[in-house]
Amino acid sequence: MKKKLVSALLSVAMVASLLVGCGGTTAPAEEAAPATEEAAAEEAAPAEEAAPAEDVTISVAAIETAYGSDIWAQVAEAFTAETGIAVDLTTDKNLEDVIGPSMQGGEYPDVIHLATGRPAGLTEQFIKSNMITDITDVLSMTVPGEEAVVGDKIAGGFTDTSLTNPYGDGKTYLAPMFYSPCGLFYNAGLLEEKGWEVPTTWDEMWELGEAAKAEGIALFTYPTAGYFDAFLYALMYSIGGPEFFNAATTYAEGVWETEEAKTCFEILGKLASYTHEITPAQANNEDFTQNQQLVLDNKAIFMPNGTWIVGEMAEAPRAEGFKWGMTALPAVEAGGAGYSYTWFEQAWIPSGAENVDAAKQFVAFLYSDVACEIFATAGAIQPVLGIAEKLEGDNVMFYSIYDNGAKAAMGNFAAFTPIPGVEVSPVFFEPINSVVSGSLTAEEWLANVSAASDQMRANLIQ
Amino acid sequence: MRKSGSRNAFLTICIAPATILFFIFMIVPTFNVFRMSLFEKGAYSPQETFVGLNNFKVLFKDINFIRSMQNMILLMVIVTLFTFVFAIVFAAILTREKIKGQNTFRIIFYIPNILSIVVISGIFSAIYKPENGMLNSIIGMFKDMSSPILWKGEKLVMLSIIIAMIWQAIGYYMVMYMASMSAVSESLYESAGLDGATKFQQFFMITIPLIWTNIRTTLTFYIISNINMAFLFVKSMTSGGPNHASEVALNYMYSQKDAGLFGYSMAVGVVIFLFSFALSAIVNKVTEREPLEF
Repeated sequence: MKKKLVSALLSVAMVASLLVGCGGTTAPAEEAAPATEEAAAEEAAPAEEAAPAEDVTISVAAIETAYGSDIWAQVAEAFTAETGIAVDLTTDKNLEDVIGPSMQGGEYPDVIHLATGRPAGLTEQFIKSNMITDITDVLSMTVPGEEAVVGDKIAGGFTDTSLTNPYGDGKTYLAPMFYSPCGLFYNAGLLEEKGWEVPTTWDEMWELGEAAKAEGIALFTYPTAGYFDAFLYALMYSIGGPEFFNAATTYAEGVWETEEAKTCFEILGKLASYTHEITPAQANNEDFTQNQQLVLDNKAIFMPNGTWIVGEMAEAPRAEGFKWGMTALPAVEAGGAGYSYTWFEQAWIPSGAENVDAAKQFVAFLYSDVACEIFATAGAIQPVLGIAEKLEGDNVMFYSIYDNGAKAAMGNFAAFTPIPGVEVSPVFFEPINSVVSGSLTAEEWLANVSAASDQMRANLIQ
Repeated sequence: MRKSGSRNAFLTICIAPATILFFIFMIVPTFNVFRMSLFEKGAYSPQETFVGLNNFKVLFKDINFIRSMQNMILLMVIVTLFTFVFAIVFAAILTREKIKGQNTFRIIFYIPNILSIVVISGIFSAIYKPENGMLNSIIGMFKDMSSPILWKGEKLVMLSIIIAMIWQAIGYYMVMYMASMSAVSESLYESAGLDGATKFQQFFMITIPLIWTNIRTTLTFYIISNINMAFLFVKSMTSGGPNHASEVALNYMYSQKDAGLFGYSMAVGVVIFLFSFALSAIVNKVTEREPLEF
């Protein structure tokens, strides 16, 4: 009997421990607290000046990209020192998987730094369901610890695009972050060696394609089809200017029947025929570096990419005399403008955030000189005026692309309420794989785009 | 009387943890999948709109979904067929025949099972690499490879995934068949041998009928595991590409969730659930035989 009692007690204990295990896992803030004290002790004076709420802790979630996560820890520390607001920081390479589940449960970070265009599309989903706080007033806030107003610091154009004002109502919902000019990257050493000029029009591009073909070199490759976003945007700009781009990205009626659209897909079709044949077979998340390697090995000349490529392929073997070069997309006609797409990331405040005011201060602080310098140490360049002086190495050449005649292209496809089976990337970018493989023609692709565009227009978020 | 009462209480307490956990982590989520498939909802937005069976109506007209189901069924049929044949033949050879290094073979066949799918994808990506990949290098010794075979290109990508999946699965099923084959009494083979039955006859008349219950069980395993494995392999090897040529149903479900269609992706989940359930039931029914005793 005694034995049974003991075993009964044991099993009760087991059940209890299991249930405890199931219970909530809330143990926040404590970790961040020591940091606050430390910082406050270090720089007591400024903290007293600018701290409205000293016991506030904001949670910041930032994606860890090629720039690393140290910059975020440093910026969070600097922010706490400046304002006295503690920061509970989460950084991860797969940020969606880390913060996603708790957000489904209704617990949101106060600030999220996560760009659009990622496969999991988390930011897009928040845009589509109107779950982002309007931060237009942040633009008129003073940067914590400085005299300057946020809106005056941010470089021109960055807060007028559909990437920051997704609903086209003049209100800013997403703050522009680290920007990078995108364009065609190539081996400048190879072109010098062969005596080839960097093409400034598409006709020159095709001539170069023929010349390269004779030497057994392909004109073009791309890491994955996803890299066609920046490419297609810049291409649309260079063909029809901002008018065509805006019409196309808001799915205007008949826009895909215009001459501009036809030219656009003719170029894509022709480019596909000059693309290195093994590209589509490696255009996936596992093998895409092999496609980038084609450029390093002089097997292909151009690839669409961003400035991060230099760091990404830093360890890779390369052809002798290799030197990174970058050019804007060629113009359609001689004397026309070449365009380079400006890719930038976004930081935003979910509407479910608890400490909106403190979160807005944090967003404003991201444009402070202190933060910009910390970010720049890792190569992450904030879109603020006068940042050019902080650039080093290859970046000087990359970021000067706009000073050398290329125009900046910005924006993206407008948000629409989700349609089953119809998404931007599968419609506009991914079919390039099939065109290169030869199972789809550029005309068929255009027809599919046209049909999908009609559906997207019908579901546009106004 | 008092004794049996306390005994029941004790049993209840013992069973309770498993039951509660099973209820919380299996029944409730499954029920939720079915419920959510009737709603329209973003993965992160709290609003949900009841849309009845509308998700399913759209689903059966969605070409991408149909293609992903086709791919999944193709994988299930081909992989099951080849794995089954290879596993059972290898098992028969390793249990019935005396060959040198039996244990070594057993280990070699089983190794893929210990590896994680991501590692296997890495191995096969290296094998399938268009330039200097193992497969293309070997073929290159016999024929001109100036335009390499694109194993992960649009045309061959499904075949490449099939090969990787078969390679991964053989060992596991082989060990299962070996376990039941070694339970078959040696005397049956001896007497059959005396009666003049060849090895082939022995295999089909003795081995197969006597391990039939085991085969039936593994068939259900094949169906369920291939649905999951197809997702894992596709996710880590090709992400469904190039241009959705290797999309499978579970991967499609995932991508629709990411597109902000949580309810719709749950409808895909429901279809897969019912499909695998129905298929297992049919296979179970069709393969029903009088169990043989020995």
